[in-house]
Amino acid sequence: MKRHKNCREAGDSVILYPDNYINDIEGEKLEDMCDAFIARGFKKIIIDFANTDLINSIGVSILIGIIEKVRDKKGVVAFSSLNAVNRDIFNIVGLTRHISVYEDDEQAVAAQSERVLM
Amino acid sequence: MSNKPIFGVCPDAEFFGRGHEIEYITDRLGAAARPAGGVVLTGGRWTGKTEVLRRVHRNLFWEQSSVWPVYYQFKGYGSAEGFAEDYLKEVLKQYIAFKRRDTAAASSEVSLDKLERVLIDDGDDGAADLVMLFREAKRASDPVAALRGAIAAPRLLSEMTGSLACLVLDDLDKVSAANIQKDGGQVLVELLDALGSGANPFVVGAGSRRPLEGGSLNGSIDALELSGLDDDLSVSMMTDLGRSHNLAFDTEVLSMAARRLGGNPMYMKNFIWAACRAQKELNGLKDFVELYTEEITEGNIGFILRTSIRLKGLNDLRILKACLSARPDGATSEEELAERLRLSREEVSRGMEELGSLGLIESDLGSVRWTGDVVIKDFLGYMHEMRVKGRSSAEVRSSMVLESLKQGFARSGVNSAGRLRVEVADLARSFNGQKVLKVLLRNQAFSARFKNGALSPVGSNQEDELTLPQIVGCFDSASMEKNETGPVILIANGFQNMRYDAGNEIVWFAGIKDGFTPVNLGDVESFLRRTALLKQNYRNSRQARWMIGREGFTAEALKRLESESVYTSDSVQFGLLKQGLEDRNPAGVAAKGPAGVPNKEFEVVLPASSKAELVAAKAVEEIGVEMGFDEKAIGQIKASLVEACINAFEHSGGKATRVFLRFVSYADRLVVDVRNSGVDFDGNISSRPREGADALPRKRGWGMELMKGLMDEVRLERVRGGARIVLVKYLLNKGDRRDEEA
Repeated sequence: MKRHKNCREAGDSVILYPDNYINDIEGEKLEDMCDAFIARGFKKIIIDFANTDLINSIGVSILIGIIEKVRDKKGVVAFSSLNAVNRDIFNIVGLTRHISVYEDDEQAVAAQSERVLM
Repeated sequence: MSNKPIFGVCPDAEFFGRGHEIEYITDRLGAAARPAGGVVLTGGRWTGKTEVLRRVHRNLFWEQSSVWPVYYQFKGYGSAEGFAEDYLKEVLKQYIAFKRRDTAAASSEVSLDKLERVLIDDGDDGAADLVMLFREAKRASDPVAALRGAIAAPRLLSEMTGSLACLVLDDLDKVSAANIQKDGGQVLVELLDALGSGANPFVVGAGSRRPLEGGSLNGSIDALELSGLDDDLSVSMMTDLGRSHNLAFDTEVLSMAARRLGGNPMYMKNFIWAACRAQKELNGLKDFVELYTEEITEGNIGFILRTSIRLKGLNDLRILKACLSARPDGATSEEELAERLRLSREEVSRGMEELGSLGLIESDLGSVRWTGDVVIKDFLGYMHEMRVKGRSSAEVRSSMVLESLKQGFARSGVNSAGRLRVEVADLARSFNGQKVLKVLLRNQAFSARFKNGALSPVGSNQEDELTLPQIVGCFDSASMEKNETGPVILIANGFQNMRYDAGNEIVWFAGIKDGFTPVNLGDVESFLRRTALLKQNYRNSRQARWMIGREGFTAEALKRLESESVYTSDSVQFGLLKQGLEDRNPAGVAAKGPAGVPNKEFEVVLPASSKAELVAAKAVEEIGVEMGFDEKAIGQIKASLVEACINAFEHSGGKATRVFLRFVSYADRLVVDVRNSGVDFDGNISSRPREGADALPRKRGWGMELMKGLMDEVRLERVRGGARIVLVKYLLNKGDRRDEEA
């Protein structure tokens, strides 16, 4: 298992740990990171929001773009460690109907490891 | 069900404001109260009365069933009998249309005979009898009976069917001897008697209340007056129209145009269309002045004014010109006019009557007053120069442009200089011993505090505060000063310390420059000289002087004012002061109960820099914790505030470097006000349907939805010089509040 500052590989999944505030800049960093892992063949992307206090609407747009991109590659995105407000935000936007949400990154990794992707 | 209007209205995208009036009249008429009351809607030319009335009719036609609406627009008729036939036909057509909910039935042109057959076929014999009775009256050459029968038709149909008719009557001014050649006076008398009987609810639209004078209307009559759209709405309308027509413009120039055009929707639309036709950009004062002059003289507005203001001779023009150049309040007397123009009293009286019927002047007890608007005034000035003085059109237009540019469109006595005066007078009247921050009355200190957009919360240190007097009256200095030019001076007098004794009497002199240039040294010297003279009238009172400049002050002017201890405010300071006092308005407090009293207020100014919104989030977190909000609520407020801030930066029109935040904590809620100096916030909520159950949500445009989803109330408001968004979070959420109240 490899762990970097903002990401961690766990089997065929990768977990991304965005910063405290997801705006356009942080969102783009996250997108770049995601692109890099997709290029390396990862199809299971977990985004863990344990460190994330705030997500603005531009950040939300970028997250939707990331999910779209991963889906196009027949991959899957899951979220974990959402605080109450971030959960509200994803509910308002309607994202929670499209992705799995887990209590924490370990639970997300466990669930994704059992998942078979085409 | 379609809600297509029967009577033409302008596209919704071109219709601005008046929502409150439409809603109020619709509710009033739709209440079907007995005895029925009425609304009298008056307003100058082209202020949108017809549009309001037609929209009221549309609402009543489609959105309720307790009354059936009749819209009738008066026009010219050959005789009272001609009016009666037309009126009866309209009433019956609209009765059938409402019964069938079929707009075609009301808009088709049919004879009374045909209507009678339709009613009989529908088994509506009672209604058909109204036609028969009308025909009998005509046959018996009894025009009064025919007239009374037609006017009584809505009441009779209401009685027959048990369903109340409500009348939406437009252009009542046209019911006059001038428009109904035979028995015109009788029509008005019968009509007013019918309305005054309380049988049917009604709304009457007219240019003035003059046609209603002497009528028997009484009881529950509401008078509503439509003036031009307010400043903020006018500017919004102009900018929206400009954008929709791909016009290149500077927002300040459109603001100037909106004010100059008095917020009149017809003028504003024509002005924008003229710019588009001429493919002219509106980026500077010269662009605006040239187009304005062209449009009101030889353009569409000029054409409309020419056709609607049909002066019968040069004497009318001379009388109008004399009224216009009378005292600042525009009043003169018939004697003065006769002497000045060397006309006989009869000639003046005849002119008065003609001009009064055009709605340009009002004559009362020998005193004559101009009642037209600024655009008509400029148009008549142009006509006077050509027709009376014999100058060529090109020469006059050229001189109009020159003069307007020289004076920056801020000549005294015109409406463009009137809005701020009214606002300052209203604000002064609201002074009631409140404490306000001194920086709001000291321009230099205010500018220094907010220099470079630096964050600087305005504290509530007592040393920073000034206690306002309690003002009991406010008026302008015109009656005390003859032939004075320069900024308007308002005189507000009252008491200090809330003590009503001679020792606490105080007078505030407020000099106002509402032009598009800053207050300069000349303005200041004029203000100081004039107030020195005015002070003589208030020797026993304490005195304070205050200068307000829409565009601020020049450095020399500010230095001089500071040395004379004169209070100074620009439009930003004035706006903040006004807002602060509005929020402490006793009426508002009474309406909200004890919870309406703000506990604390904080202000923050954010520079337009990366992540500046996090400073706001941090500030609101501190406030929220202190107020007792739980962690989730604080998170929701922070997320919403971040959205509001980035929205404010994005829509600041590319010129704002600062966003102003105001946090007001009440016992039961937190109110956050985010204001920019741009054109608007993005209030749109995209409603693009999802393409399938599996389709991801759209990527963009979630800001407003997030704020609405996370806060208890979100309001978008356009304000002078920008826009603001108000976020409200209650300590208990709305559901809890309702449970508690229940």
